[in-house]
Amino acid sequence: MDLIDFFTNYTLRTITLGTAILGAICGMLGSFAVLRKQSLLGDAISHASLPGIALAFIITGVKDPNLILLGALISGLIGTFWIKGITKRTRLKSDTALGLILSLFFGLGILLLTFIQKMPNANQAGLDKYLFGQAATLVEQDVLIMASVTGVSLIVLLLFWKEFKLLLFDPDYTKTLGFNTRFLDILITFFIVLAIVLGLQTVGVILMSAMLLAPAAAARQWTNNLSTMIILASIFGALSGIFGTAISATQNNLSTGPVIVLIAASFVLISFAFSPSRGLIFREMRFRKNRKELHLKKTLTFMYRIAQNHDNISHPHAIRILNNFQGFTKKSLLKLENQELISLSGKQWALTKKGYEEAASINKKLGKSDD
Amino acid sequence: MTSAQLEIQIIAALVAMACAIPGTFLVLRKMAMISDAISHSILPGLVLGFFITNDLNSPFLILLAAITGVVTVVLVEFIQKTGLVKEDTAIGLVFPALFSIGVILIAKNANDVHLDIDAVLLGELAFAPFDRLEVNAIDIGPKSLWVIGTILLTTISLLLLFFKELKLSTFDKGLATTLGFSPLLLHYGLMTVSSITVVGAFDAVGAILVVALIIAPAATAYLLTDSLKKMLLISCFLGVFSAISGYWMANFLDASIAGSMTTMLGIIFLIVYLFAPKRGVFSVIYKEKHQRIEVSLLVFLLHLQNHVEIEERHVDHLQKHINWGKVKSKTILDLAQKNNLIKLSGNIVNLTEKGTEFTEEALRYITTNKETAIEDLKAKFFLFRG
Repeated sequence: MDLIDFFTNYTLRTITLGTAILGAICGMLGSFAVLRKQSLLGDAISHASLPGIALAFIITGVKDPNLILLGALISGLIGTFWIKGITKRTRLKSDTALGLILSLFFGLGILLLTFIQKMPNANQAGLDKYLFGQAATLVEQDVLIMASVTGVSLIVLLLFWKEFKLLLFDPDYTKTLGFNTRFLDILITFFIVLAIVLGLQTVGVILMSAMLLAPAAAARQWTNNLSTMIILASIFGALSGIFGTAISATQNNLSTGPVIVLIAASFVLISFAFSPSRGLIFREMRFRKNRKELHLKKTLTFMYRIAQNHDNISHPHAIRILNNFQGFTKKSLLKLENQELISLSGKQWALTKKGYEEAASINKKLGKSDD
Repeated sequence: MTSAQLEIQIIAALVAMACAIPGTFLVLRKMAMISDAISHSILPGLVLGFFITNDLNSPFLILLAAITGVVTVVLVEFIQKTGLVKEDTAIGLVFPALFSIGVILIAKNANDVHLDIDAVLLGELAFAPFDRLEVNAIDIGPKSLWVIGTILLTTISLLLLFFKELKLSTFDKGLATTLGFSPLLLHYGLMTVSSITVVGAFDAVGAILVVALIIAPAATAYLLTDSLKKMLLISCFLGVFSAISGYWMANFLDASIAGSMTTMLGIIFLIVYLFAPKRGVFSVIYKEKHQRIEVSLLVFLLHLQNHVEIEERHVDHLQKHINWGKVKSKTILDLAQKNNLIKLSGNIVNLTEKGTEFTEEALRYITTNKETAIEDLKAKFFLFRG
């Protein structure tokens, strides 16, 4: 597949648009899931929607994608509320509740799917695609549905923006202010379930949770601001969709879902490594820099203690006498000289006036206990 | 029942037991979702092992896949330690990525590999009896029976050897550390056993349903008992029961064995979740209702003790002043009378001697909080509960 085809091929354009929109809505709503510590809820919901898909087919006997999505939505919602019931009513913890619903619903779904396979009028081919997703089956109508759901959830998000934000960061305060937290909770959960269900056809039941998490987790590394995070997450999600579709289109035998997930995962990896404020690389660099500065300051205070005993603060001393102190190296001395804190001449060093003042202020900060 | 059917049931029962034992500890340690992560992320290890050995039951493949499982745990813990994302997000990020790699590996080599995605997801229990193990050309049973049997035996012997260490580190990590047991060692030991079990069971029931076999029996048993030993026994029993009944359901419906095993587990969990004595939903709701009535009764008695005025102790006053509905007032009055805590003279309520004594003790309990629980007090005075 050539690059030119990518822009001219109608089917491919539809698919790319679909995965991009899906990525964007997942990033948007996933941000809430991640911040509300409900990361694994997505995994549970997507698995829990499988029996709904199968039942919708058994009951109606037709393979209407909209009906199937409705079934998935209902079964996903039942799963979600059962999880809440289990954690609220029994002593089972949320991880157990999630794992239970995930696997039990999925098992029921598999039972129903294999049951459908054996049905006499089995026109079931195509239900399998909900397991791993098949972006290739996206048609214009699917993309339209995705776009309108994205639009609606965007409007709802904007309408309830401050309520959602407050609920996210301080649920108790939200309640005391008189907002209906239960309603808000259900509303946001409903939209998360909706986003997951929309993605089933494209990414599949099993990998859908990553679609929800990865863009949001990546975006979280770049900002501390909720709106920026949501926008970034949508962009990351959309880009994962576009690149994933493009890459899987260029190769045979490469399903779109896993590729999209891997692209999203690499966004996370890059963000973990390179984000300026939280990223691991910069964090390590800051650690090192701090450690070096600490060493310099240690050397400087040591010099200060020596210089203190002399009338002339800039009285030169031999570098040798620093020997019993391990903090100094030739490099660190040069660095101190560069900062005009000391002056070096031959094998002698002397504190400058600036250096003396600097060291005095450090010493003061350290507390008087040392003097 | 043919011998193949019998063999399938034995394998299913062994798988269920092998999963239930580590599952009990995972549920108690609040690490149930780790089993989900392991079961997905062993896929790349499994595929690579399959490329090398070409045999799904080879010990080398099982080892390689189990190592992938442990690597997943380490990776998840590493991400958690960086503090860049919250704990559960780390799990949610790692396993889909590894699973995707596995899926792509399978898809790219679809032509040369006899390993398809359906088998990975659903398992092939029905075909298990056809893959025989032969020693010196003598048939000694299905391969997977031997694999899962070995795993189960290892698990049980490890469990017996380290039972008290596991128990201690599960319930009191701090004490275990001070007593010199390494919780870290036990943690990774448990993770290794779980990984090996998942890989061994994988062949039979598939990647996701193995999670059901690990979590569901243990979670159900947790709602039924407080004792670790009983919990282990109950979860093994539930696992075996649903394995066998699931097999016959699958036979009847002509559907996936793994799927119906899980569905049986689901049905059992639903029943226990709703009806378990003490911890089931209905008994919790029932208990909450009783407690509400008994708290109201206590409030009422304290009110009586505080007031000598006739109008404050009039029956109608309950509805007017304390704002209780008619039904609620009547329930509470009846309960108090049945327990000989009050006497009605006309429409005026008086505390009996017993009522005064109870109220005073309750007041002492409330103000000093010295008694361990008000439940003891209630048990002492109440003939009839709310």
